[in-house]
Amino acid sequence: MNTVIAATWQEMLRRKMLLITLILTVVFLGVFWFIADTIGADGQNSSDVLTRFTRRGAILTLGFFFGGFVVAFLAIFSSFPVISGEAERGVLQAVLTRPIPRWKWYIGRWIGYVSLIGVYSLLLFAAVVWITSVHAGMTRNYEEIVVSMLLFMGIVPVLVSASMLGSCLFSGIGNGVFMMMLYGAAWLGGMIEKVRGFLPVEPQTEHTLSAIGSLLSLLMPADGLNRRMQYVLTQGAGESIPFLTGGSPPSNMFVIYAFFFTLFAFILGLWLFRRKDF
Amino acid sequence: MNAKPEAVIPAVYTQGLSKIYDNGRGCRNITLTVGKGEAFGFLGPNGAGKSTFVKMLVGLVHPSVGDGTLFGHPIGSVEARRRMGYLPELYRYPEWLTGEEVMKQHASLLGIRGAQVKTLIREGLDQVSIGRRGSDRVKQYSKGMQQRLGLACALLGKPDILFLDEPSSAMDPVGRREVRELLIELKKQGTTLFLNSHLMEDVEAVCDRMALMLNGEMIREGSVAEMLQVKVRWRFKVGGFSPVLLDWLREESGLPISQIEKQSDEADTISNWEHPVWLEAELEDENQAGRLNMLIVEQGMTLYEAHAEQEKLEDWFLQAVAGRDQRGERG
Repeated sequence: MNTVIAATWQEMLRRKMLLITLILTVVFLGVFWFIADTIGADGQNSSDVLTRFTRRGAILTLGFFFGGFVVAFLAIFSSFPVISGEAERGVLQAVLTRPIPRWKWYIGRWIGYVSLIGVYSLLLFAAVVWITSVHAGMTRNYEEIVVSMLLFMGIVPVLVSASMLGSCLFSGIGNGVFMMMLYGAAWLGGMIEKVRGFLPVEPQTEHTLSAIGSLLSLLMPADGLNRRMQYVLTQGAGESIPFLTGGSPPSNMFVIYAFFFTLFAFILGLWLFRRKDF
Repeated sequence: MNAKPEAVIPAVYTQGLSKIYDNGRGCRNITLTVGKGEAFGFLGPNGAGKSTFVKMLVGLVHPSVGDGTLFGHPIGSVEARRRMGYLPELYRYPEWLTGEEVMKQHASLLGIRGAQVKTLIREGLDQVSIGRRGSDRVKQYSKGMQQRLGLACALLGKPDILFLDEPSSAMDPVGRREVRELLIELKKQGTTLFLNSHLMEDVEAVCDRMALMLNGEMIREGSVAEMLQVKVRWRFKVGGFSPVLLDWLREESGLPISQIEKQSDEADTISNWEHPVWLEAELEDENQAGRLNMLIVEQGMTLYEAHAEQEKLEDWFLQAVAGRDQRGERG
């Protein structure tokens, strides 16, 4: 299995997808530094602790608005062609006839993607939190930081598991489109929830919007985890930018659902892969 | 039940092995035994089901019905895959890797580690004439080079059986000859070969036995010599020939001689008397050919040329599939 994990890392490094992502991340972090400086400097002049607290939340929310997208795109674009795409190109046929059980290959690939993108998401999380702390201070509640970090990193296995499952079912390109649509739907679900939070609407309309938003979030819980993470990290202060973080944050039950969603997608994908003809 | 001794376990054994896809294609009820050290050729037109059958043997496709073993291990099992090398028909290696890295990855998947890996990789690349180009990225390889690399990977770890699906289809004539010589050498070393090829000369030169697949079914199986029914067919190029002389030759020699080039309607004109024709006869030995030469000359005919001809596998293949419906490539 170590060979498969190493091959996955080698692929991501050689295909330069990680390098390009890292370069663009550095550019983003540079821009984010100035954004945080601008918002934070204005808040530091204020003697109002609540104002500074709110501005810190706003900075974090902006940082993770970008961060959530980058991590999701990296996870999806790395893993969507892993089975059907490689089978179409004829790469898998030479490997799967080697004396390695199929389940080891599948798990090896999963670990390879999740570990490398997980490390990237950890670094991105640390960078956003550090830049925010430099310009607007940071909570000293380390438990909240650790929990939000785990929630942010949790986006990766959710997406990789779903993407690998999709790759057992659809063609290479088809799965790429499917995953983007799924993530887009989840993001839309989050947006509906945010819009519901600040739009003055009738209770009946609010109820309908909430139901639609929840259903879309359940289809793909990655964006929901990101929203929950932001809520925990900003201690609710991010709601000061209603368009970005408005509405109710996903509940603990949603986090448990995301865990079982990942487990189900992983096991179903593994089961399908073992039975698949190439 | 006592386990069979290793010596009597066949390299490949299948019993009613079938794979039927949703569209009804695939292959049906294939029962086959290939002995250890044997070179087996698998022939058939495109879409006959050859690759599906090979994919079942190497564990890429799950059979719908039937079962099979490789050296006594169920097909598709890790133990079976440990003993084989496979060169797929349509494949690519990751183009961001070098040839050496591809080999290293495959060596690692085979459990080969340590100092011997480097030596094995170097030997393997030299064996298929990639040599120093092993340090180039795969994306810089031609199709033929990729096929050579595939062969080198299949040979890693000295497998007991080698499944080759069109092993030299993308190679130039020199490459094809090298592969053919390599296969003959492997056969001498005792490696069992399962060759799936459209290149009849490869099968003819390398294989002991062969089978013909058509429309998903194995319609013939046997030794190459049996299948070709090796006949020594002699041909004589004769001048000054007349049809009357043909009857005389048949009567005098007692042999089934026939004319294979028709004479025109003006057969008895002077010019056609001198126009050479080809006579053909299936003879048991060279003595019969010598007697026929003598009879031809005795009757005042001119003998320009005489030679023995064997039936080629390509002729046999075309005859075998002629007149049968073919379903063609998988749609």
